[in-house]
Amino acid sequence: MPPTGLLLPGDGHRTRLAWSGDPLLDAKLSVPVALRTHVPRKRLLDRLGEGAGSGPLTLLTGPAGSGKTSLAASWTRSGAPPGPVAWLTLDAHDSAPGVFWSYVVEALRRALPRLPEGIRMPGCPGSVGASLLTRLAAATEQLPEPVVLVLDGFEKVAGRRVPAGLEFLLAHAGPRLRLVVAGRADPLLPLHRYRAEDRLTEIRGADLAFTPHETAVLLRRHDLTPGDDVVRALTQHTEGWAAGLRLCALAMRRTGDPAGFTRSFTTSEQAVSDYLLTEVLDAQPAADRELLLRTSVLDRIHPDLANVLTGRRDAEAVLARLARENAFVEPVPGTAWCRVHPLFAQVLRTRLRMRHPGLVPRLHARAAHWLADAGHTTEAIEHAAEAGNWSYGASEAVHRLLAAAIPAGPRTDRIEQTFTSMPGTVPGAEPALVAAACRLAQHDRAGCGRHLAEAGEHLRLREPEPEPAVLLTHALLRLLCDPHGDVPSPETAAEWAAAAAELMRKLPAERLRERPEIEPLRLQGLARAYLAGGRLAEARRAFAEAADACTADETLLIRHACLGALALAESAEGVLASAEDHALRSLTIADQHGVVPDHRSGAGYLALATVAFEQGDDEATGRRLDEAAACPDTAADLVLSTESCILRSRLELTRGRWEAALTALTPLPHHKPAGAGPWPGRRLALARAGIALARGDHQAAVTALHDTDGDGPAPLVALARAHTAAGRTGRARRLLAHASRSAELGLADHVGIQLLGAHAAVLDGHPETARRLLGQALDTARPERLRRPFVDAGPWLRHLLNEPDGAGPAPSASAWLTARADGAGVPGVVQPLSSRERDVLVGVQRMMSADEIAAELNLSVNTVKTHLKSVYRKLCVTRRRDAVERAKALHIL
Amino acid sequence: MRYEFRVTGSVSRLLEEAFPELRTEPAPRQTLFFGTVMDEAHLYGLLARFQDLGLRVEEMRRLPE
Repeated sequence: MPPTGLLLPGDGHRTRLAWSGDPLLDAKLSVPVALRTHVPRKRLLDRLGEGAGSGPLTLLTGPAGSGKTSLAASWTRSGAPPGPVAWLTLDAHDSAPGVFWSYVVEALRRALPRLPEGIRMPGCPGSVGASLLTRLAAATEQLPEPVVLVLDGFEKVAGRRVPAGLEFLLAHAGPRLRLVVAGRADPLLPLHRYRAEDRLTEIRGADLAFTPHETAVLLRRHDLTPGDDVVRALTQHTEGWAAGLRLCALAMRRTGDPAGFTRSFTTSEQAVSDYLLTEVLDAQPAADRELLLRTSVLDRIHPDLANVLTGRRDAEAVLARLARENAFVEPVPGTAWCRVHPLFAQVLRTRLRMRHPGLVPRLHARAAHWLADAGHTTEAIEHAAEAGNWSYGASEAVHRLLAAAIPAGPRTDRIEQTFTSMPGTVPGAEPALVAAACRLAQHDRAGCGRHLAEAGEHLRLREPEPEPAVLLTHALLRLLCDPHGDVPSPETAAEWAAAAAELMRKLPAERLRERPEIEPLRLQGLARAYLAGGRLAEARRAFAEAADACTADETLLIRHACLGALALAESAEGVLASAEDHALRSLTIADQHGVVPDHRSGAGYLALATVAFEQGDDEATGRRLDEAAACPDTAADLVLSTESCILRSRLELTRGRWEAALTALTPLPHHKPAGAGPWPGRRLALARAGIALARGDHQAAVTALHDTDGDGPAPLVALARAHTAAGRTGRARRLLAHASRSAELGLADHVGIQLLGAHAAVLDGHPETARRLLGQALDTARPERLRRPFVDAGPWLRHLLNEPDGAGPAPSASAWLTARADGAGVPGVVQPLSSRERDVLVGVQRMMSADEIAAELNLSVNTVKTHLKSVYRKLCVTRRRDAVERAKALHIL
Repeated sequence: MRYEFRVTGSVSRLLEEAFPELRTEPAPRQTLFFGTVMDEAHLYGLLARFQDLGLRVEEMRRLPE
């Protein structure tokens, strides 16, 4: 049997990204093509080779156009690198750590025939937890040969989080990972320390500057052979600036008078880049200039899109010519797209704004339409936003089912980001739907409900009937967040879910395939409604189905949340082993994909807290509750917040702190909010009744329970408990008999009924019956090690168990009850584990490395190893796997 | 806060327009850009913009209010 919670179907080695195969993204991961006029510079190639051949980090810094990319690319192509090269060209969208690291993983995967085990795509674009970086670092230990990772354009990565991750990787990676970072500014890494430790090779602006000899070679490649004085003058005036020298070559070729150009250039007072950019740009034919101006609103130019922006048809020819003749238009390899050198892009944009200020939004709008038709929905929406055309952007987002996918998280982050600046005044159903989806993704359920209600108004009035994509988005969002109070009733939810399924059938299959989030979200919405409605069996089935429907990378957060919720429903029913298993699976997904708490669901942690509590481990309960509290949905979701508060309250109660137990419940609404589903209300009433009983106030307990809409056995059992405590055993027995006829009896209910029956029998003076019922309760609870009902039962139970004449249940039947989680109850077999040792062992069970366990527990790796050794010794084992098996057999895990 | 940037060489109107929030003044072999800078993010943004355009900042200082 595989260890708990690992090796799920669909979690295996299927790590291909949805976007692999997109030629534009392929281009980011391929080495840029060489210019025809490229000058190989041996001194720098050798230096780069030495750097990457020995040390972990080589830094290439210099201003725009100083030849960093050309140098790294020509080195990569030269065959000189010590091993395979993983190339990544960065742009401004890659600042989010999740995006950055997923590109890094993809780049490594393309460079290496076999990527070491254990590296997965990050789950969220926003951030990456330490576990992913730890895995990545550990994987580099196993590299058979040196691997070079080139990060080109690193200055585009804003913020500290990516450099911090890189620093971590440099500190922990194996010796065969070589990093080459190229950028305009020094990265935020402790360079002074790397220098002192001799771990850094630097090629800086002054090194990159062309020498007169190199300038002469460059000019010769442009078929220019000026005299030494011209070469020297140009080198001096440009200070060896590569892009400047290229522009000089272009200008000289055009004028046909190198000496004359050099004279006027070197005597000009104008800034070098200004002089050259203007010179070269103004030398272009008017039509080409116009094309460059108008396409400057784009990051990348496609010939057809350029035609749309210019209203002409010659873009392909013009761009091909510019790419051939110039240094500033570069084709994106393997595609029809091209890119303008950043030096020019900025000048062109400025000139466009200056000459035709009114044209800019119109160009963005045209680009948006073309990009949308070409299937580049995200870019299309960004241009629509630039154009201020929010209605169009929102409509595209809804019709392409992007809006509906926003609540699923990971890959829709960029869209969500774009729409954050959408003003609230944009009228119509689609903008309201997009706003609702964004609010839901931010866990603002009230805001989501408001926007959904607004969208509903618009849709009701719309003639003719809105398109299926619009209605589907509305149905799906409503299912996930009912505008009338968070969670729809199970009946309503079933109706909406069926309507959503019907709408999905009306949509082209291809569009649905593009959004694998939709079906899992639909099932998740339905499952939440069952859970909030207290229909646990159906909720469990629906959450399992939703988790199974998550087969794509885009859906891993849904899978994580659904497995957690499934575990929570199971833990509430007392099916503890299965709950623990599913909760650990849920957490494993989040760990493997490096999901940070901000993007995690608290459901899995709450389930583990409940399991720990029911098994009598108060310390673990508190720890798991704290972990759950770090996840945003623990407070935002009514079911989760209820479970979390109730568990805290019960924990206080076990310490005899009634006041604190009541205070723990105060964050919850006093009366159940309209439409919130009966489940949270019922759970709250049970908790209140429990507190009242602990204080000996039977009447208050009964009153608390009368407020519940009491189907299901749990309130009946609780009521019976109140009556038993008051000595009214007859009434209690009638209630128990009624409860035991209920169709939806869970394991915890069975145990409760049997235990109360035993208590009532004790009170009525029937010790035989009491012993029999207690034996049954022990047998029922044993497989799940459900200890809590026995711990809470009161002194009568201890008397019954410890009867001196041996008339109580056989000691073997109740031994598990007193076998503490720390193993103290199994004397002579093992020495008890300390709680830290147990924490470490739990980490081992989750297949974590010593490094990861250390990171999670805030311990040093050596301490973890010491604990592990001690665990092995105490359990008399020598291997990790045996330790877990043995600990399970001893009920320590 | 007000800042002054001294950039090498004279600068054409086109490149001046890339800094609509700053005023310019020619100086011997230099161009002065000056004006109100909103905050530090704006300051670094301006420096990046100079770099984008291949302009070299020789000197930068905060002006008295």
